[in-house]
Amino acid sequence: MSGDHIHAEPTGFLRKHVFSVDHKVIARQFMWFGLVWLLVGGIMAMMIRWQLAHPGSPVPLIGKLLYPRGDGSVPPDGYNTLFTMHGTIMIFLGLTPLLIGAFGNFCIPLMIGARDMIFPLLNMLSFWTVVLGGLVGFYSLFVPLGAAEGGWTAYPTLSSTIGTPGSGETLWAIAVFLIGASSIMGGINYITTIVRLRAPGMTWSKLPLTIWGMFFTAILNVLFLPVIGSAMILMVLDRSFGTSFYVPATLNQSGGGDPILYQHLFWIFGHPEVYILILPAWGIISDLLSFFARKPAFAYKVTVGAMGAVTVLSAVVYGHHMFTTGMTAMLGESFMLLTMIISVPGEILFFNWLHTLWRGNLRFTTPMLFSMGVIFVFGLGGLTGIYLATISTDIYLHDTYFVVGHFHLTMAASSLFGAFAATYFWFPKMFGKMMSEKLGKLHFWATIIPLTIVFCTMFISGYAGMPRRYYNHTDVDYLRSLQHLNVITSVAAFFLGGAQLIFAFNFIKSRWWGSKASVNPWEVGTLEWTIPSPPPHHNYDTIPTVVTGPHEYSHPALKDRDWISQSEQLPT
Amino acid sequence: MSDLALPLPTESRRARVDATFGMVLFIGSWSMAFATLFLTFLVLRHRQPVWPPEGVVLPSLPLAGLATAVLLASSALLHSAVKRLRAGQPGFAGRWALGLGAGLAFAALQSWLWIDVWEAGGRPDTDMYQGLFYMLTWFHALHVVCGLIALGFIQAGALTGRINAGRATPASSVAIFWHFVDAVWLVLFVSFFAL
Repeated sequence: MSGDHIHAEPTGFLRKHVFSVDHKVIARQFMWFGLVWLLVGGIMAMMIRWQLAHPGSPVPLIGKLLYPRGDGSVPPDGYNTLFTMHGTIMIFLGLTPLLIGAFGNFCIPLMIGARDMIFPLLNMLSFWTVVLGGLVGFYSLFVPLGAAEGGWTAYPTLSSTIGTPGSGETLWAIAVFLIGASSIMGGINYITTIVRLRAPGMTWSKLPLTIWGMFFTAILNVLFLPVIGSAMILMVLDRSFGTSFYVPATLNQSGGGDPILYQHLFWIFGHPEVYILILPAWGIISDLLSFFARKPAFAYKVTVGAMGAVTVLSAVVYGHHMFTTGMTAMLGESFMLLTMIISVPGEILFFNWLHTLWRGNLRFTTPMLFSMGVIFVFGLGGLTGIYLATISTDIYLHDTYFVVGHFHLTMAASSLFGAFAATYFWFPKMFGKMMSEKLGKLHFWATIIPLTIVFCTMFISGYAGMPRRYYNHTDVDYLRSLQHLNVITSVAAFFLGGAQLIFAFNFIKSRWWGSKASVNPWEVGTLEWTIPSPPPHHNYDTIPTVVTGPHEYSHPALKDRDWISQSEQLPT
Repeated sequence: MSDLALPLPTESRRARVDATFGMVLFIGSWSMAFATLFLTFLVLRHRQPVWPPEGVVLPSLPLAGLATAVLLASSALLHSAVKRLRAGQPGFAGRWALGLGAGLAFAALQSWLWIDVWEAGGRPDTDMYQGLFYMLTWFHALHVVCGLIALGFIQAGALTGRINAGRATPASSVAIFWHFVDAVWLVLFVSFFAL
């Protein structure tokens, strides 16, 4: 198919820039889409933190604009909408398009030596489906009675018509369905492309780890996004057609439904979703750590095996989200044991990363800093996960800020750092311009310090018993003493939010006014760095033949440089 | 996929494997969506003390049985059509047309089944039985409609010659999808009438 012959580049504006089937254009579209939504979700996070630091006082700058009917403070139902839409937007419309949509699309064909994705039209359809999902989600913010208020997990009966009347929650479910459909299309494309379109010589053991991460993510996408899709269909039927799949008998005349059923369906998808977001970041930093330590990635095959083991295990641990739903002791303990087991491959990855760095000739570029940042924040998040995997501690910590801190460090901060590392690293290839290293490093330090404070203070307030999703915790006697802690968290969060303006400035300035990027500015060996920046429409004039592994740095046989391209033979 | 727009007389073996791989992957993925719905069916059914609950409107077994037979026949016809196409034997367009006709007949029988239940007072919100019945048949019917549209496109391609012995993969991919729709119906039929 697309690998066999070169298609001419379309010349019309629409076919070239809007309805393009070129994976590089689609990658950039996904990138802008994800970044804009990250901004929206980020502003919502700032408003949540404002409410927690100063409950009931008017939000500065934007409060009057967003809540014109009151005094500009966040109303209680508005607060529910904020945390619901913050989570939904960040996960489904921010991180997924940025990390998987943009870098999956950009890296897969380039790194395996292909001219495009195997199904270019499906690729375009995948992007426009997520756009449609985003539009539905955005529209739901303006319907009467407000947007979804059931939390990003949308548990019934919070998400039933009794908990959340109005069309907001229904539109939310439709948006999630559409976004899921987009991910399934992407997943089918990624898997087929990686299996079928690798350049000659690009064996499975020469595949860059970035591609392995994307491959495992795509497998989880095609397996588990359909589950949430079906769960959303059932929710829409419950809300709009009067069925009662999730509604127990007392609430509805037909009756007999089961709200816990939804929790099962949600977490069968929801736990793999965590790994859907983290596996690409793991893959990317496994490559970048080796690139910038100028050393081969330690135990390549073990890293791949560990990522594969996590992929398999991620499907059988979801019950740890539901320890407090009254599951039998045997089932609970099984899920606890399986969850503990999944930390083993996680730790193997850690040791491999640390050993890759060990005695390396480290180059502290911005992508390298963010890659090391992933190790740090995922370490914090992973270690606190053990408390939540253990039933006895989880029952106490369940639905507290401890959980909020934990999942933000693992799936939010780690994936975001992975996305930042990837952005700084591939920006020259994507746009043909260099990003400012000075601003990049400033961005890194201005991000990681407040970020650590934000989520570590959440551990403390959560351990002290502060529940999540309370509109005004100062109404509760025993939580009033935690107010100073919440102020610290919020101030750090505002710094964290402000630091992202450095990134936005750097991104926009470099995109249009940055210095021109050379073919291989980072001196690395994967295939995409053998062609011009940005690559031509058809990527490779002739499909390269791969003879060398992706991480042959500082090889003793190399004389005048410490790297070798995957299409070059090592001197003997 | 992009090649559909190009007037290529034949396709490479590689392209054939690529497209079939993608289709099979899609079927594998999408069967998880149906698996979720059937899991829901089993869980909620298990909650009911008697099944089918007393006094519910039952869909007509003879009608559903006839629909099953018709759908199986359409799958068999499409299978034999694709086999003939690949082997270069005549009779593809005719068999495909018969398969398409059987598919349309299934859609008609399915509509009859709904009208039957609806007129007897069965609505999605009357009870759990109806809710599950409508949920599963609606979702399945959505795939029947998509399948019929795809079957129609292949039929048109067969008549204009764009689908031929050297370019059979679009037909075989659509046939795979139709077999999947057929298999899901069998599970649905067994769930509602045999269990």
